[in-house]
Amino acid sequence: MASHANLLRLCLRPSKRLPNLRAAAVQQHALRRSLSTTQWRSAAAGDAGNKEAQDEFDQVFSNPGQFLQNFLRDEKISDEERKIATAALADWKKTPRHKQAQFEDLAQKLTDQSAPLRRAYQPKKDSFWNAEETDTDLITGEVGEDDFEEDDIMALGHAKLEEHREFREYARIAVWEMPLLSKLAKPFQPPTADEVLRFRYTTYMGEFHPADRKVVVEFSPQDFPGLNEAQQLKLKKLAGSRYNPEKDIIKISCERFEHQAQNKRYLGDLVDQMITTAKDPTDMFEDIPLDTRHHKFKPQIKFPKEWYMTEERKKELEAQRKQALLLDEAKRTDGSMINGADTIQQALLTAKKAEAAAPSLVRVRPMRGRR
Amino acid sequence: MSAPNCLRCLVRPSAGIPVSAPRTVSPLVTPFVLARTAPFSTTAANARPKKEAQGKSDGGGSSRGGKKLQLGKFKKEKVADRGRTPLPGERKAYRKRITLSNDNAIPVPWLTDLGPADLADPRSSGKVMALPEEVQDQLRASEAFKATQCWGMFRKPAVLVRKETTDLVNRMEDAVDKKETLRLVVTGDKVTGKSMMLLQAMTHAYLNNWIVIHVPEAQELTTACTDYAPIPNTDPVQYMQNVYVLKLIQAIKRANEKVLAKTYTMTAHPELPQNMPANSSLLALANVAKEAEGAWAVFQALWTELTAQGANRPPILLTLDGLAHVMKVSDYRAPSFDLIHSHDLALVRLFSDVLAGGGAKFPSGGAVLAATSRSNAPRAASMELALAQREAEQSNKEKEKTDVEVPKKDPFFRGYDDRVEAVLRSVQVLRLKGIDKLEARALMEYWAASGMLRAMVDEKTVTEKWTLAGSGVLGEMERAALLTMRV
Repeated sequence: MASHANLLRLCLRPSKRLPNLRAAAVQQHALRRSLSTTQWRSAAAGDAGNKEAQDEFDQVFSNPGQFLQNFLRDEKISDEERKIATAALADWKKTPRHKQAQFEDLAQKLTDQSAPLRRAYQPKKDSFWNAEETDTDLITGEVGEDDFEEDDIMALGHAKLEEHREFREYARIAVWEMPLLSKLAKPFQPPTADEVLRFRYTTYMGEFHPADRKVVVEFSPQDFPGLNEAQQLKLKKLAGSRYNPEKDIIKISCERFEHQAQNKRYLGDLVDQMITTAKDPTDMFEDIPLDTRHHKFKPQIKFPKEWYMTEERKKELEAQRKQALLLDEAKRTDGSMINGADTIQQALLTAKKAEAAAPSLVRVRPMRGRR
Repeated sequence: MSAPNCLRCLVRPSAGIPVSAPRTVSPLVTPFVLARTAPFSTTAANARPKKEAQGKSDGGGSSRGGKKLQLGKFKKEKVADRGRTPLPGERKAYRKRITLSNDNAIPVPWLTDLGPADLADPRSSGKVMALPEEVQDQLRASEAFKATQCWGMFRKPAVLVRKETTDLVNRMEDAVDKKETLRLVVTGDKVTGKSMMLLQAMTHAYLNNWIVIHVPEAQELTTACTDYAPIPNTDPVQYMQNVYVLKLIQAIKRANEKVLAKTYTMTAHPELPQNMPANSSLLALANVAKEAEGAWAVFQALWTELTAQGANRPPILLTLDGLAHVMKVSDYRAPSFDLIHSHDLALVRLFSDVLAGGGAKFPSGGAVLAATSRSNAPRAASMELALAQREAEQSNKEKEKTDVEVPKKDPFFRGYDDRVEAVLRSVQVLRLKGIDKLEARALMEYWAASGMLRAMVDEKTVTEKWTLAGSGVLGEMERAALLTMRV
C-alpha cells in the first residue's frame, strides 16, 4: 500500500541524487539476470564512466546552484538542456544571499529530519518476526477520534438518530406516497381458456442478478383443447421428471440465454414442439409406463368418517356402555364376576384346609404335570 | 573397600586399564577376568561368578543371574470353576423347550375340552377352551407350539376361540364337503395370533381325523441350514432336502399315527429301499424312512398315496408358518453358483403348487394354510403385493362394489418375482386384527381365574387393557396384562 509516508519517502530519496544518472545506473542493474548461479559482482574498476556515475550518485548538493554547476560540467547533455541550466544558474546567482542561506538551511533540515524515514529498516537478528518494528505505513486520518470533547453525543447516539431518521423517511413514504400506487392497480382477470401457459419471471428491481434471466412455464396437459387422453399421456411421458402427478402440472424452466425474452421464446417454442410430438401418432410410447419416481406422494390423511362424534354415534356408544355395565351388574349379582386376587386367596385357603383335614398324611411331591 | 582401586577406575572408564585386579586371582588369569568386568564400576570385580547363575544362563533364563525381585511369588494358582459346560445342543434345547402346564396355576373350573365340532360352532366363539390331551401330543409332535407363546403359565393349554377361528374352520369344512382344497393365507400385524390361528386349524383337523402336515418354520427350508441335493432326472433341476424330510416324515408319523394306521396303500412301491406291497398301511410306509438317505423317495411315495385319486382318504391339512421365507430366492446355491429359487426346492414346490391350486388334488378335500410372519420375515415384495391385491379384490367382491382400489405393480421396481405372483394369484386372504371386547373379556377372565391376573375383570379393566393393546391385539394384551408385574 502506498501510504503517504511511503510516498514522501520515495520522493525524498531521489531528491539528493541526479535523476538522469540514477535512472541510467538503475537500468544497468536491471539488465542483470534475475536468476543466476554465479555470484553478483559490481562493474570492473576500469569502467571509467560507471565510476564517475557512481561518484556523482553519491554526491549531496546543498543548493540548486551546486547541482546546476555539476550538471553543466557534464559534456553529454544537449544544448537545449545546457541553455536552460545556464539560465537557471544565472537566476540562482541573482538570488539574495540570505535567501540562498535560508534555502540551504531548509534543505539541511529536511535532510536531517527525514533521515530516519529514508533509512532502510534492518530487522534485528534475534527478533521474532520483527515484532519490534513500528509500522510507519499506518497513519490514521482521524486523529483523536476517540477523544470525547464533552460537547456532543457519542458516535453511537448519532448512529441511533440516523436510524430513526431512516425509519421516519420510510414511514413518510408509506403514508404519503404508497397510497398513490393504488391508482396504478389493475383488477385481476383470471386467465381465459386460451391462456394455457403460465409464465413466471423474476426481477431484482433493476439490479443485475444471474437469476433474473430465468423464466418458468407451467401448464396442465388437460388444458390443451386439441389433445386426447393418449396424447396427454404421451405429453406427460415426454415431460419426464418435470411432471407433477399430484397436481397434474408440467413445469419447465429456462435460463440458458442471456435475456429473459430469449428464454421465454425458447420455452414457448419448446411447448409447441412437445405438443406436436405428442400429437404425432407414429410412436405413442405405449410400452413405457408413466414414471413418477421423481415425485414423492404426500399421503392425504383425513379424519375417518366413522370417528366423527355425531348424535347417532353418541347414542350408539351410550348403548354399548350401558350394555357393558348391565353385563357387569348381572355378573356381580349372580356371583360370576371374577377377581384375580380373590381367586388366589381362595385357592390358598382351600389348600390349607386340605392340609388341615388330613394332617397325618405324608406329603408327597405332586406328580409333575409338566410335559 | 579398596579406595585406590576405585579412584583409579573413576579416572578413565575403560576396560583396557588394569583396574581392580582382585588379590585372590592369580596374575595369569587377570586379563580374562578384566575383560568380563563392567568397564565402569566402583565395586571390586567379583572373581568367580556363581555356578548356579552360570548354569541358569546356559539354560536360557535370565543372563544376569543373581537375585531377582519376584512379585506374587506365593500367589495361589487360580482354578476357575465354571461349572459344567452345557453339552452340545443343550442350550438350544433349553431355548426351544416348550412347557405346556404349570402346577402352581389354579385350575379353571369351567374350562371344557374342545370337541370335534366345537371349533366350527359359532356359539363357541368368544370362549376359552382347553386342548384335549391327545391333541396336545399331536400338536407337540408336529411342533405347532412355539416357545414365545405363554403356554407355561396355565394349568392346561387352552385357546380362545375367535370369530375368525370359526370362520376359518367353517371354510375348511365347506371345502371338505365339496371335496375341494381351501387355499388360504393368514396374515396380519405383529402378534395378532397368526400362528395361533394355524394351531387352531390343526386342532380342528386332528379332532376330526384329518391328516396334518405342518412345516413349523419355513426358514429352515430356505436359509441353507439343512442338507440339499439335486434330484436326478429333473428338468429344471429340483433339490431334495433329505434330512429335513426325514424329520418331517417322523413328525407326520407321530402326529397322525392313528389315521395313517387305518389308511392303506393303493399300489406297491418297489422303488423304496424296503419293498412295500399294495394294501399295506401308510404308517408302515412312513416307517420305511429310517435314514436321511432315501427319505425323499419315501415322502414322495407317501404323498402319492395320500393324494391318490379315487381312494378313500381322510382330508388333508397342509400348513406352513413364515410364508415370506418360501416366497423368495433361497440361500442355496446350484453347482453353477447361482442362487436357487425357493420353488426349485422339491418340498417347497410341493407346497407352493398346492397353494397355487395346480398341484396334487386332495381326494377328500382339505386345506392349505400359510401364515405370514412379521418379526422374522425377509422382504418379499411380490408376496406383499399379491396379498394386498387379493385382499382388495375380496373386499370388493364381498361388498359387490369397487370402492377399494386394487394396488398395482410399480412398473419401475425390479424386485418382483413372477413365480411368487403365479402362486398367490388365487389364494384367499384372512387378515387378523385385534379381538373384540367380549373376546377380550373372556380371555381376561380365564387369566384371572388361573390366578395370573390379580384384578377384578370388569368393564373398566377390560377396556383399559384392550385399548392399551391397540384395539385388542392379542400379543399386546398379553404384554399389558399377563406378562407385567403391575396390574
